[in-house]
Amino acid sequence: MSQTFTMGAARKIAWREARASSFKFLFVVLAVAVGVGALTGVRGFSSSFRRMLNSEARTLMAGDVSARIFITPDPAQQKVLDGITAKGALLTQITETVTMAAKPGNPIPVLVSLKAVDPARYPFYGEVVFSPKQTVQQALCDECVVAAQDLLLRLGLDVGGVLRLGGKDFRVSGIVEKEPDRMTGSLNVGPRMMMSRKALSQTQLLSEGSRAAQRFLFKLPAVGSNVAETRDLLKKTFPDALVTDYRETHPLITRGLDRATSFLSLVSLVALIIGSLGVAMAMNSHLQQKLDNIAVMKCLGARSGQIISIYLMQTLALGALGGVVGIAFGVGVQVAFPTLIERYFQIRPEFFFDWASVFQGLFAGLLSTLLFTLPPLLSIRDIKPNTIFRRDMGGSKGTWRQRLKQGRVAMACGALILVGLGLLAGWLAGSKLEDAIRLGGSFAIGLAVSIAVLGGFAWLLLRGLKRLAPLTRGSLRHGMANLYRPGNQAEAVLVSIGIGVMFTLTIYLVQHSLLTEIAESAPPGMPNVFLIDITEPMREGVTQLVNSQPGVEKGVELIPSVAARMTHVQGNEVAKMDLKGFGRRFLQTRSITWSDSQPKGTKVLEGKWHAASEMGKVAIGQDAALSLKLKPGMVIDWTSAGRTFRTEVSAIFRQESVRAGATQEFILDPGTLKGLPVIYFAGARVKTEKVSQVQAAIYGKYPTISIVNIADVLDIIQEVVDQIAVVIRFISAFAILGGVIILAASVAGTRFRRIREVVILKTFGATRNRIATIFSVEFVLLGLCAGTLGSLLATGFTSVLLRRFFTEAEFKVEWQAILISILGSAVIANAAGWAASARILGQKPLAILRED
Amino acid sequence: MSNPIAIEVDQVTREIDSGTHLVKILKGISFQIAHGEFVAIMGASGSGKSTLLGLLAGLDAPTSGRIFLDGTDITHLKEDDMARVRGAKVGFVFQSYQLIPTLTAEENVLLPHELAGKGGNGSNRALQLLEQVGLSDRASHYPIQLSGGEQQRVALARAFMTQPPILLADEPTGNLDTANGRIVLDLLIKLNRNERTTLVMVTHDKELAAYADRVITLRDGLLVSDEKRAA
Repeated sequence: MSQTFTMGAARKIAWREARASSFKFLFVVLAVAVGVGALTGVRGFSSSFRRMLNSEARTLMAGDVSARIFITPDPAQQKVLDGITAKGALLTQITETVTMAAKPGNPIPVLVSLKAVDPARYPFYGEVVFSPKQTVQQALCDECVVAAQDLLLRLGLDVGGVLRLGGKDFRVSGIVEKEPDRMTGSLNVGPRMMMSRKALSQTQLLSEGSRAAQRFLFKLPAVGSNVAETRDLLKKTFPDALVTDYRETHPLITRGLDRATSFLSLVSLVALIIGSLGVAMAMNSHLQQKLDNIAVMKCLGARSGQIISIYLMQTLALGALGGVVGIAFGVGVQVAFPTLIERYFQIRPEFFFDWASVFQGLFAGLLSTLLFTLPPLLSIRDIKPNTIFRRDMGGSKGTWRQRLKQGRVAMACGALILVGLGLLAGWLAGSKLEDAIRLGGSFAIGLAVSIAVLGGFAWLLLRGLKRLAPLTRGSLRHGMANLYRPGNQAEAVLVSIGIGVMFTLTIYLVQHSLLTEIAESAPPGMPNVFLIDITEPMREGVTQLVNSQPGVEKGVELIPSVAARMTHVQGNEVAKMDLKGFGRRFLQTRSITWSDSQPKGTKVLEGKWHAASEMGKVAIGQDAALSLKLKPGMVIDWTSAGRTFRTEVSAIFRQESVRAGATQEFILDPGTLKGLPVIYFAGARVKTEKVSQVQAAIYGKYPTISIVNIADVLDIIQEVVDQIAVVIRFISAFAILGGVIILAASVAGTRFRRIREVVILKTFGATRNRIATIFSVEFVLLGLCAGTLGSLLATGFTSVLLRRFFTEAEFKVEWQAILISILGSAVIANAAGWAASARILGQKPLAILRED
Repeated sequence: MSNPIAIEVDQVTREIDSGTHLVKILKGISFQIAHGEFVAIMGASGSGKSTLLGLLAGLDAPTSGRIFLDGTDITHLKEDDMARVRGAKVGFVFQSYQLIPTLTAEENVLLPHELAGKGGNGSNRALQLLEQVGLSDRASHYPIQLSGGEQQRVALARAFMTQPPILLADEPTGNLDTANGRIVLDLLIKLNRNERTTLVMVTHDKELAAYADRVITLRDGLLVSDEKRAA
């Protein structure tokens, strides 16, 4: 191939042809831009967020080092803490728990998330903002509390009003608007409140065995302190504590951020793939229109490679231009993100133009564009120069060998595309090589299956329409016939819009099914009201009180809970065991319990349940036994409240039915845990309309007991899931947008054919309205078919996902959502089709006919 | 030229499977054309003359038989090799001009030079050729800005750009009115004489064929006559 041709003439021809087809290519550029925009926006935001976490680490933690535990330090542990402060570090303790708060006179309490701090020290970094403006010492006096606005609204209180908490009344001194360490604190399960630790001590909320979270914040001296040493010492002293320091971002947050970024990147990649499909379609259509030019060039001595170089340049230019426009979109996405998540993350990371994200987006855009346009580019080799002579005769079908050879090339291209996309997905979503390979492979296979299924259904659907069309009349018939006219890429449009609809609807259906399942399908007898933090002295009184309340359908069942940590299994340290994923929970302090006999609803799988009179026995839940590789007869050592004890595994059991305490994995004999601090929790089944009354009765007599109404928890879960779903749907909407743009590109690509059609119809008497109806039928049908396909697949996928990952969730067909998807697709497709058909209706017949 | 034969066609047949039946377009054609000859190939519509021209240019492969261009057997050449042979040895004039619409007149004329990877600045020759066809003032115009006759004259200039030894013309005046057809034919013959090419022209027009040194007539895929004209 001559240098002269490659650099000069090829570029010239590529540019001139692209300029002549600028309207059609505009849509293609937009299709790529949408996917690149979503990708760079997601990754750009993630990068800004991470930067903020790093730069604001001290503020977000409100300290230099933080250790969070769920027990009160024993004397030895306290000594270590004192030792750290003796070297000049400042220490402040924060207690976080859930409890009930109420307005005096109103017996119905509200579950709140409570945080108790030392106003003299907290926070070490950052600022707490109150309304009205005041210092922490002023706001958190010994008789005061501050609360979030939504709590005051629920209780019908104003600033200055009185609130009852833990059996004592407090004045509401202000509204807490901003806390620097809110993200790194404990999970919120109710509206927020703050008080001083002294005020907390005046209540009876904290008792021995209570599971309140204790967070120890340290501010280290500027000179002479070693963060790493302090951290290691804390980790050694509190083995199951979450210890973090300002040099690294909070592990839970960064893990969540990484996962969210990976997932959303893959969703964006779907949008980009759809855009690339559009480029391939447009290039294919473009090459069809340039057949004569290509044939002539071959007649004049051009090799296939030279001609491919022309259209390769066009492809790369389109990909690059789409990428550049996409980066601009990405800035918009990055700016929009904080608004989407502000309900839970009241932070606005400073906008930061992340070159790495830009590069990733551009590269992904170019690569996927190139991969998908490979097949049409390679088809240039098959264009025979004698095409210009033999157009009227029609081409020879070719021998079966030739057709097999062409099919092999197509398959090789398909395989290359899949591998390329898999690598791209793995690069974007996986941090470790093995994760990248696994994720990339799953993504590529999943995408291939989706496209194959969608393509197959689309083909069937169009064939069905082709058979149906002759049975119809007038505009409907013309519109249907347009769907399978030569050059109309209806199948590709159906696949691309269908993928977008499928994706978006699947997310909605999964979310809806899960929440409906949780809300509606609780088995009969399942508790819907839970009581937490019942102490030993309260036990009998609470049981009698609850059982005597009207509306209680089943007697309350109290489950004892002792906080203990597993130290050894068969003499081997648990800390050194190879525990992965959820199995790592056994490194932490767990809740263990006892029972006089084998609880109802459990089934022994191995061994034999221990008798009440036996000592040092434990029955283990099936999942725990699997993770810890336990069998009956094995020995487990524990520590709790400074005491160590040994147990022997008596049985492995499976929970057969849902009951309060069903999550207990370790059930001991009654004698082994005697003397250890114990807290009880209970579940009761209460008629829905009587729940508030029961809450009021319990709170009135036992104000330190937290009462959790499942309905309230569901509301909170719903809010969090909704928030997450909004973000995912925002990004997956880009996939739909990509599909719509492809439709517009396809329509623009057949513009001249449509113009001729309009002209001929007008010549034979068709009005503009009639012609508009024909086109609208075509676009609406496309949208309806794509929406139907996408909805069918979404329904199928949701059913599979729920069965695979959420075995308890029952799948129901959501007809309303499906109908909205189908109709919405039709409306959007019609709008997009007309946007791309601008000015066609106004064409004058003679001007066009004369061109012949 | 050591080999006096420019084109040799030896028992060439061409069949096409249209899917429903086998179409025999050429049923065994043999002839030779010497360097510098001007040959007209005539025949009614469907006689196979355009197909024969396409085979001579290597745009298609015969079903059986052999074709030699300037001594090179082009019958079974690979696509890219054939393209090189075309670029080096064959100039082409089509019935419907076939100019690249996004290139100017000058650029269209220059295209074979660039495709062949020839060094140097071909612009001088391109402009010279345009002058010879009377279009030097339209060099920067696009095909859409030219009339049919003017487009065909640009195509003529393009055909001679690389000084090919063989020129193939498929109904070069077929889409033109009589006056423009006359102009184009005169130019074709004049350029042919100046450049000393072997000219093979497909036509159904007897008046055009009268200018040729020799007329080969096809009917139903067979060569029915091969007449030399008196000088």
